[in-house]
Amino acid sequence: MSDQHLLAMHHSEVQVSVELETPDVTLNLGPQHPSTHGVLRLVAKVDGEVINEVEPVIGYMHRGYEKLAEVRTYPQIVALVSRIDWVSGYASEVPLMVAVERLMEIDPPARAQHIRLVLTEMARISSHLVFLSSYPLELGAATPLMHSLRERERVLDLIEMVTGGRFHPNFNRVGGVKPAAGAGSDQKKVVQDLPEGFSQQTLAAMDDVIGVCDDMEDLVLGNEIFVERTRGVGIIPTDLALEYGVSGPNLRASGVMFDIRKTDDYLPYDRFDFDIPTGENGDCFDRYHVRLQEIRQAARIIRQAIETMPEGDLQAKVPRIIKVPKGETYVRAENPKGEMGYHVVSEGGRGPYRLKIRSASFSNLSVLPWLLKGQLVPDVIAILGSLDFVLGDVDR
Amino acid sequence: MTESPSEVPAAPVAVGIAERYGEMVGALSTSGDFATPRIRVSPESWVDTHRTLKEHLPFFSFLSAIHWSTEVAVGDPPEEEVEERFEVFTRLSDVSKGEGVIISTDISKDDPRLPTLVGVFGGANWHEREAHEMFGIVFDGHPNLELLYLPEGFEGYPLRKTFPLLSREVKPWPGTVDVEDMPSTENVEAGEETGEVEGE
Repeated sequence: MSDQHLLAMHHSEVQVSVELETPDVTLNLGPQHPSTHGVLRLVAKVDGEVINEVEPVIGYMHRGYEKLAEVRTYPQIVALVSRIDWVSGYASEVPLMVAVERLMEIDPPARAQHIRLVLTEMARISSHLVFLSSYPLELGAATPLMHSLRERERVLDLIEMVTGGRFHPNFNRVGGVKPAAGAGSDQKKVVQDLPEGFSQQTLAAMDDVIGVCDDMEDLVLGNEIFVERTRGVGIIPTDLALEYGVSGPNLRASGVMFDIRKTDDYLPYDRFDFDIPTGENGDCFDRYHVRLQEIRQAARIIRQAIETMPEGDLQAKVPRIIKVPKGETYVRAENPKGEMGYHVVSEGGRGPYRLKIRSASFSNLSVLPWLLKGQLVPDVIAILGSLDFVLGDVDR
Repeated sequence: MTESPSEVPAAPVAVGIAERYGEMVGALSTSGDFATPRIRVSPESWVDTHRTLKEHLPFFSFLSAIHWSTEVAVGDPPEEEVEERFEVFTRLSDVSKGEGVIISTDISKDDPRLPTLVGVFGGANWHEREAHEMFGIVFDGHPNLELLYLPEGFEGYPLRKTFPLLSREVKPWPGTVDVEDMPSTENVEAGEETGEVEGE
């Protein structure tokens, strides 16, 4: 038989089998894929272009913080938790400190609370700007990345100005914010306040941040290709979102007007005016749009907080050695990614007996197997990216 | 607590919330300490409790567990002697007023098992897998009770109090390069008496 004959036979065989059935193909995505925001592996069973089943494989970033916390003191744990969600490190520190303060019945001074609030909102802007820029990149548009990361850099500079750190500020202490500089036991510690010029620079930066939001609205949301790829794609129904614990902007995009900043009182948000943006359809487009609007609201809160910044101490009177009385409490916060909470179980020691860390991305990602079922392969990245998760926040 | 009333919700509110939801499900006990409403139920009523409360508190926040043990390999043991057991707890909340409650139940250390909540809250799937690998708790009826974080073939249950933390075993703290000494117990007493402010 000639080669050509063999080839023709082979060809006809393939054609026959295609007509009869298409066997499921296992498609591996990751663990190292640029759109996965860390090390995430997706094992998808695909039938042609349609996904039948997808199983996320997580744990590559698991650092065992809940176990580590059991051998650390509370001030040490602060340094750990800012590494959970490194895109908004500061925001993760606050609820833990509020939980410890609640158990110790310490009330941080108003100025410390305002500073915490301003920095938390800055972390939100920084985190959302990363999303606003990286999501279009995942869909093939590189320009927005350059555009909004410039403003994010300014926000990071402001955070660095106050805390000395861009990603892992480690700026919170029990009873307030870090007031002292200087290391070692024989060096006199100097009390530090907000650096000079911080207020003016912040207000100026907020103007630019709002400017970049307007640009992104034209550039991305007004882009026909972006709209076509995200409208009606990856819809999360409300009841499913609640059942899976999907929180934050992802929940609000599905039409639920719920924001922990409005209902809980871990920080004095009740003193400021701001709106809760929500979506209508719960699709990728809405998740993008909600985050974009949230940046504007965050800038609005920061402006008010800077203008009404109270004078006073940065830390309440606390014992030199932090020992937390026996008790249990759960404190949650509206982090950029969603509900971030700490369940602290104290047995009277210098560290927790048990610390349960409830991170937003873990629950947000757990809806993925449901969400990707029946979707087309080209939509996988669009849906995955729109959830805005960070693997450190998933794995802890 | 007096200067800023908005900082910590008054305890009676939390007690009221716990009692209201506790009554719906026939809870063993309720409490509202530290502004955290908590209800305790029996393992037998675990699933029914969640099914009943889902109508009022549809948001599934998390499921986790605590290993109560007087013998500990890491950290400090509990203040008083405790009966060794596992406490499994979940948190449900609403998405309107911000009310939420922690539901907990005790299960035995020898045969730690509970019926799964996957049928009530789909989101319990990953949380139960985590509690399974970390504490060795079996969730009956779970569709896929496999390792979530840990690598294949991992032995032991890391979040059990009896599981040693290897890095602490090989390198105790404070180490030789730590700048500051570990404060002694005497300092603790002195610090508490004077109410000395850190950093002064």
